[in-house]
Amino acid sequence: MEPCDSPESTPRQNASSNLKDYFLASTPWQKRLESVRKQTSFVQTTPRRKVPECSQLQETIDPHKLAFLLHKQWTLYSLTPLYKFSYTNLKEYSRLLSAFVAAEKQKGLAVEVGEDFNIKVIFSTLLGIKGTPRDSEAFLVQILSKSQLPSKNREDKVLWTGWFCCIFGDSFLETVSEDFTCLPLFLANGSESNTAIIGTWFQKTFDCYFSRLAINAFNLSWMAAMWTACKMDHYMATTEFLWSVPCSPQSLDISYAVHPEDAKALWDSVHKTPGEVTQEEVDLFMDCLCSHFHRHFKIHLSATRLVRVSTSVASAHTDGKIKILCHKYLIGVLAYLTELAVFQIE
Amino acid sequence: MEETVAEFLRRTILKIPMYEMMTILKAWDFFPEEQLQTVNFRQRKEQLAVDLVLLCEKKSASLNDVALLDIIYTQAHRNHKVWDVFQMSEEPDDDVNLFDMEQFKSSFKKTLQRALRNVTVSFRNAEENAVWIRVAWGTQCSKPNQYKPTYVVYYPQTPYAFASLSTLKSTVPLLGQALKIASNHHQIMKMDLRSRHLDSLKAIVFKQYNQVFENHNSTKPLQERNLGQNRNVDPRLIHENTVEKERIQRITEETFGDYPQPQLEFAQYKLETKFKSDINRGILAEREEPLRCLVKFSSPHLLEALKSLAPAGIADAPLSPLLTCIPSKRKNYFKIRDK
Repeated sequence: MEPCDSPESTPRQNASSNLKDYFLASTPWQKRLESVRKQTSFVQTTPRRKVPECSQLQETIDPHKLAFLLHKQWTLYSLTPLYKFSYTNLKEYSRLLSAFVAAEKQKGLAVEVGEDFNIKVIFSTLLGIKGTPRDSEAFLVQILSKSQLPSKNREDKVLWTGWFCCIFGDSFLETVSEDFTCLPLFLANGSESNTAIIGTWFQKTFDCYFSRLAINAFNLSWMAAMWTACKMDHYMATTEFLWSVPCSPQSLDISYAVHPEDAKALWDSVHKTPGEVTQEEVDLFMDCLCSHFHRHFKIHLSATRLVRVSTSVASAHTDGKIKILCHKYLIGVLAYLTELAVFQIE
Repeated sequence: MEETVAEFLRRTILKIPMYEMMTILKAWDFFPEEQLQTVNFRQRKEQLAVDLVLLCEKKSASLNDVALLDIIYTQAHRNHKVWDVFQMSEEPDDDVNLFDMEQFKSSFKKTLQRALRNVTVSFRNAEENAVWIRVAWGTQCSKPNQYKPTYVVYYPQTPYAFASLSTLKSTVPLLGQALKIASNHHQIMKMDLRSRHLDSLKAIVFKQYNQVFENHNSTKPLQERNLGQNRNVDPRLIHENTVEKERIQRITEETFGDYPQPQLEFAQYKLETKFKSDINRGILAEREEPLRCLVKFSSPHLLEALKSLAPAGIADAPLSPLLTCIPSKRKNYFKIRDK
């Protein structure tokens, strides 16, 4: 397993009294930022994270949009703050980006002046995708191919989707001035060439920087533990881990799937602190799984590379890909990813 | 030549890579050598196919001729298919019948035709007395689909047959039935063994994989291989490391043998065993139910990869018998329960 590089965190802090309990944010970044700035070697206190809870915020999310975000594979990026981005200019951005995308796609081809391009770009806000009211509003960008048919019933086809969000990004927000909008987590679905075009426009227009967000084995383990800890009414998917073995000359992949009820039983047996997940518990959970495996196969999974974890809540791949399956824990999953994105930016 | 047959022929020819075209056509032996020389093999494949189809039409190629070409192509590309293994058992108290190939073929075909009026059954004898069978499946009212055939490789005088099953799953029981009846066996069952590598499956099933090759020379002592690498390390440590490495090497060779491993792509284990741990005794201590797990190992060459694990320090030596028994038990699907 890769060396521990998780941030420290302070125990849960109480936010202001008007917020309901489930908006309590642990702020692991505060302490780490300070210590990094002071350039002192920081003592590793056992990191803790709050078990994701079913967020009441779900009610404000448009169910149609929510369904759109689930069950899709998203490629993850971290994004530095956007300079002079304004939510009131979304229509203007749509227009500018449409023209930019069309121009990029037409590069190298002879084009009639004034020709009507058959793609359009739409910006729209995603209400309710945030952790605290202070988080910047999430928004969605889509490349659509305009329907060729005159009939109104024919819907435009979605070619590419990307969305920007910030969940519990308080500590990060505090470090930037008001000209900046903080949406450190970017998720994209569609062809890489489209992602590159959109990314280029954003980087030029808002002086920001995208960077692929890989997820290392350490964080994958945390995700597996946290998502196994989530209460589920029923399980849609098995709990599965994928390891890649660095042996040569032939590659070897090991897929280890556990019945979700059994994984939960194992977790419940490991879990001691109500409402929180600790490093010790994550380590013990993974250790039990690995030792059960070792008992049968005499192979040390810890000497191999954890590449993917999959649960009924979500699945994540080390290359920085996520698929969220359970609407109840959407915010919880995004919160962790926001943490990782912020960590990468700093 | 019927249009459907001509089309089937054209598509089969298009499957064949250009570098193999001459070899396969020669093996097909439908055209005499002199006629093949007159064909222009330098043109584009689509055009070549058109020319060949025309020639076949002149010679009134039949559906069975084209099916034969399909068999030859598949034999040359056997690793494109996934093969299952069937094992049949003898009738109890049955005398060993002298195997009659023609009788087998006729009985096999008849069994299928009685059940489904529309089937195309073709045979081609192969090396080691094996027979390759191709079956294209239709129904009582529709013609056979030539593009989703089943292939069977049967070794007479053994109770084994290898089958690349069509995606039409409903055909499997009927196929089993036909094989069983035609070969005078009492029962047929599918083994828990599956791979793309037909020759490796054969080697495993017939226990031919452990033949030692005379030129195989991997047992050079480790000291020779590590010359000059450890100059600054305590020689006693080097010695201990070397002793351990040699132990691992020796055990690995004892387990896997000194020969190339048969090639499999995966092994799958369905586990229903209780959680037990020496270190973490409290965990799940009261739970009676086992953990239900499904473990799958995948690799382009699974057994070679497993063989390299202990020397690489990723696994203990000796490796678990669950893994090392794959060739000897002739299985790559397992169900493991507590005793």
